[in-house]
Amino acid sequence: MDKFLDWIVRAGSLDRRVIFVVIALVVILPLFFPLGLPIRPTNSSQDVYNAVEELKAGDKALVSFEYGPSTKPEIHPMAVALLRHLFEKDVQVYITCLWPDGQFMAMEALQQVAEEQYKKEYGTDYVLLGYRPGAEAVIKGLVSNFRKVFTVDSRGNFLDDIPMMTGVNQVADFDYLFSASAGYPGTVEWVQYAADPTGVTMSTGTTSIQVNEVMPYVQSGQIVGILGGMPGAAEYESLIAQPGIGTSGMDAQSVAHLVIVGFIIFGNISFFVERRRSKKY
Amino acid sequence: MNGSEIFGAWVAVFLTLGIFSYLYKDNPFYKIAEHVFVGVSAGYWMAMAFWTQVQPNLFGRLWPTPEGQISGFLMKTWYGIYNLFGFVLPSVFPDGGIDKGHGHDPHFIYLLPFALGIMMLLSVASKLSWLARLGIAYTVGMAAGLRAYAFLNSNVLGQIKGSAVSLVDMPFFSLTGVSVFNNLIILVGTITGLLYFYFSKEHAGAFGKVTRVGIYFLMISFGASFGFAVMGRISLLIGRFTDLITYGSSTYNYASIWVLLLMIVLLAVWTFKGEKKSVSQ
Repeated sequence: MDKFLDWIVRAGSLDRRVIFVVIALVVILPLFFPLGLPIRPTNSSQDVYNAVEELKAGDKALVSFEYGPSTKPEIHPMAVALLRHLFEKDVQVYITCLWPDGQFMAMEALQQVAEEQYKKEYGTDYVLLGYRPGAEAVIKGLVSNFRKVFTVDSRGNFLDDIPMMTGVNQVADFDYLFSASAGYPGTVEWVQYAADPTGVTMSTGTTSIQVNEVMPYVQSGQIVGILGGMPGAAEYESLIAQPGIGTSGMDAQSVAHLVIVGFIIFGNISFFVERRRSKKY
Repeated sequence: MNGSEIFGAWVAVFLTLGIFSYLYKDNPFYKIAEHVFVGVSAGYWMAMAFWTQVQPNLFGRLWPTPEGQISGFLMKTWYGIYNLFGFVLPSVFPDGGIDKGHGHDPHFIYLLPFALGIMMLLSVASKLSWLARLGIAYTVGMAAGLRAYAFLNSNVLGQIKGSAVSLVDMPFFSLTGVSVFNNLIILVGTITGLLYFYFSKEHAGAFGKVTRVGIYFLMISFGASFGFAVMGRISLLIGRFTDLITYGSSTYNYASIWVLLLMIVLLAVWTFKGEKKSVSQ
């Protein structure tokens, strides 16, 4: 027994680089050999799905891209899945970006979904308005007058020359609002300056780390549903029955979590054994 | 796949592995990746802000393309200044004014933000740095005013409304949905959590016991945040590994494999030389 406890104490001071290698392996292996673990949608993901389901063909959805390459693995899969659902329902999609790199993320998602998959027409079915700096001031501007903030879209077309911009003057003209957000400015600012003052139904997709910050708005009904990180994206992909990047990463995610939980439990056992011994002597 | 895409993949692989190499220890590859990241980010943000805001929305409003011939002394002088700028920077100030859909008449009110912006830049000149305070004061004042109402409405009133839960006409227990039990948790958690931050009374006796409950709620919240943070980091790791696997294919001339091998060899040489040097010293 003592030998075993000695081993536990020694293993507790394991070189951190060994842990890095183990984590790397448990993430890489499921990417090569998928386990096909089941994905069950949570209530919050289901709420986002239901909100989009309630939209009718021709309704207007404002989607805002507030993330960049550094958070792409978490947010991009859900942005792609949401666009698929919106285009599937023939909803008109208007895209704005509060982050400069969000514009490139939006371009990539639109090329994949709107152009290649659904063959949608630019200016009639969707429009990429582009990036505007100014954070909440931009949202505030969009709430009062769209054309104060955007006079041209990301391609340089005048807004008045874009067919689907006819009759769209402010945020209140939209039927649905979605913020794909990785931080500031993002979901919280859209709630404060757009969704709450106008009453437009809003859902969001955020990085995992933001979920705790945004969840109070979901619980209070200020936001209808939230997609949290890669699992949120995988759940949405399963709801629209179109598996994508989110689904393929979930096996690695689940196995890595199990190993990390294992490390935490083992680390605690080692700590308590060591503490008990030091008290004893 | 064209040459620039393959080159881009090699650069991406080098930078990713360069950052990962820090897990071994601080080394020149990490330093290169870190400095490139900081430099490129700063340059990218500056270029984006200039070409999406300053040039179209500030200069575009101050010097829009005039309708017909410029007449009048003031306008001729005004566009004379523009032509002077255009002579120095023709890409920023193109011939005949900037056409970004802001009409044909200059909006002179925008001289105010232009002047405030210049004042903020003067912070680098020690004798004139006091002028920067005006720009900063305007920004802080504007932001405070803009946020005051939004925070009051969404974060105070909205959250109070969300926390005012009902304890009747619902099932007593539900694991995920609305129930008396879950609402009691919200009620107790909100009150005890708020009381913990009440420092005008010593946390002792019955009051101390109540605030202790508040600490447990806070700890559970921090635990959830930690869990989400781990989940987010693993998602990002999956994203990087997915890209490395893609770039390790023959399409990209096995970029991941070659860069990884080269980096391991060079790191081994660098470590060996470092150890030899320290021994000789």
